[in-house]
Amino acid sequence: MAGRTIRTVATRVEDRCGGVRVIELMDPEGWELPPFRPGAHIDLHLAKGLVRTYSLINPPEENDRYVIAVKREGAGRGGSAFAHERIAQGTEVGVSLPRGGVPVDDRPQVFFAGGIGVTPFVSAAAHLLRMGRRDFTLHLMTRGTPPLAEELARLGAPEAVRIHDTQAAARPDLAALIAEQPEGARLAFCGPAPMLAAFEAATAGRDPDTVHVERFIASPPMVNPKAKPYTLVLRKSGLSLEVGAGQTMLDALLDHGVDVPWSCGGGICGACRLRWLEGEPIHGDRVLRPDERKTELMACTAQSASDELVVDL
Amino acid sequence: MNTNTGAQDAALSALPEEPKGTLFNGAVVGLHITARAFLPMRSFDELELVAGKGITGDRYMLGREEGFYSAKPEEGRQVTLFEIETLEALQRDHGITLRPEDHRRNVTVRNVPLNHLVGKVFHLGETVLEATRLSVPCRHIEEITGQAIFDPLINRSGLNCKILRGGTVRLGDAVWMT
Repeated sequence: MAGRTIRTVATRVEDRCGGVRVIELMDPEGWELPPFRPGAHIDLHLAKGLVRTYSLINPPEENDRYVIAVKREGAGRGGSAFAHERIAQGTEVGVSLPRGGVPVDDRPQVFFAGGIGVTPFVSAAAHLLRMGRRDFTLHLMTRGTPPLAEELARLGAPEAVRIHDTQAAARPDLAALIAEQPEGARLAFCGPAPMLAAFEAATAGRDPDTVHVERFIASPPMVNPKAKPYTLVLRKSGLSLEVGAGQTMLDALLDHGVDVPWSCGGGICGACRLRWLEGEPIHGDRVLRPDERKTELMACTAQSASDELVVDL
Repeated sequence: MNTNTGAQDAALSALPEEPKGTLFNGAVVGLHITARAFLPMRSFDELELVAGKGITGDRYMLGREEGFYSAKPEEGRQVTLFEIETLEALQRDHGITLRPEDHRRNVTVRNVPLNHLVGKVFHLGETVLEATRLSVPCRHIEEITGQAIFDPLINRSGLNCKILRGGTVRLGDAVWMT
């Protein structure tokens, strides 16, 4: 629900080579955190309206901490700068539930990463080592010193972890590296766009089930993912707010500090019933009768077919 | 065949003159709390219930207020109960495996018809509870468990209770109503 995050505290903050900051987040009392898959990612709610997503670098077996590595981006949108300047040991940070991750199974795993894109594979490789598995290889393309050199050393550089420093030697041919991999191996990639295009081209002929590209995925929408954005007008208070695609009206209202009652979030309890005045709502609840729907809606499940929807708030 | 003798109306509130069983003889089969919203529930062998306040260490304990719904205070949320039979039904009817630590209620019971207890006072080990309302499932739980369990939990999502008499509740404790 809107603005609801997991409360964590930065328990360790370390600055590494290449403008990379490692941040360990824990529950204030060391309680276990929600579980995650190897290389999953979380949103950090850094400030109002400033939400950034980072991959976890620690293995899921460490169930009481989320560890991320943030590379400072000069031209970044402020998230990495915030993480570098404002997060110190003891800083409270709200985070989302973990999502996504690198699928690992019984097959040999080959990871390809560019620069800071190595982060999810640091988690996945650490997980495999914990399982007693050594049948993985991580190829990291880096310009100069690799990010997270200490972690990479622990994971088995230079055998299991092959660092290709493109300042010291010619950039390896990704297509040739991929062609060397046996058909049964699972290949995964995380890195910048040009390298991604090369990876996708080189793996196009393989069984799709053996190829994974690690991308940040949006939080699961609570409403129909096809729901389109619209403007919600609050007639009495004169407010007008944008409801994003996949966002619920209730979330949009709560995000803007509009105090509406709510409870189940699933259109059954009836707590967030509102009167609507203009527009064309799409009802998703299971409590309103057809005649009630002509004037009322449930904010937790309703969407809008019109570009603007006016409610009596 | 007699019709319209008025027996039907009388039968609605009647109980057998010689009861063949008891209303229920329940047991505590799971005890769980968590420190804050979203965090995994931890399993305990015993929990301390404080009359009028909540469970020591739980997110909804008065004065702690770190639960998902803490901004919406409710007297009847001091302790919540859940039927193990619902977990068995989810497995049987929907193929969904949900464990007692996953449903996010505090006390899992066997052989206690929770939906019958709204408005009633009953015993949970050495404590006495008053059931205030049925719990409503929350979309939040699908987010946490990653399973589509909202619909199958409608109308069997547990019971919210007020603690009238506090005490220690242990695994295996009896649950009954006099």
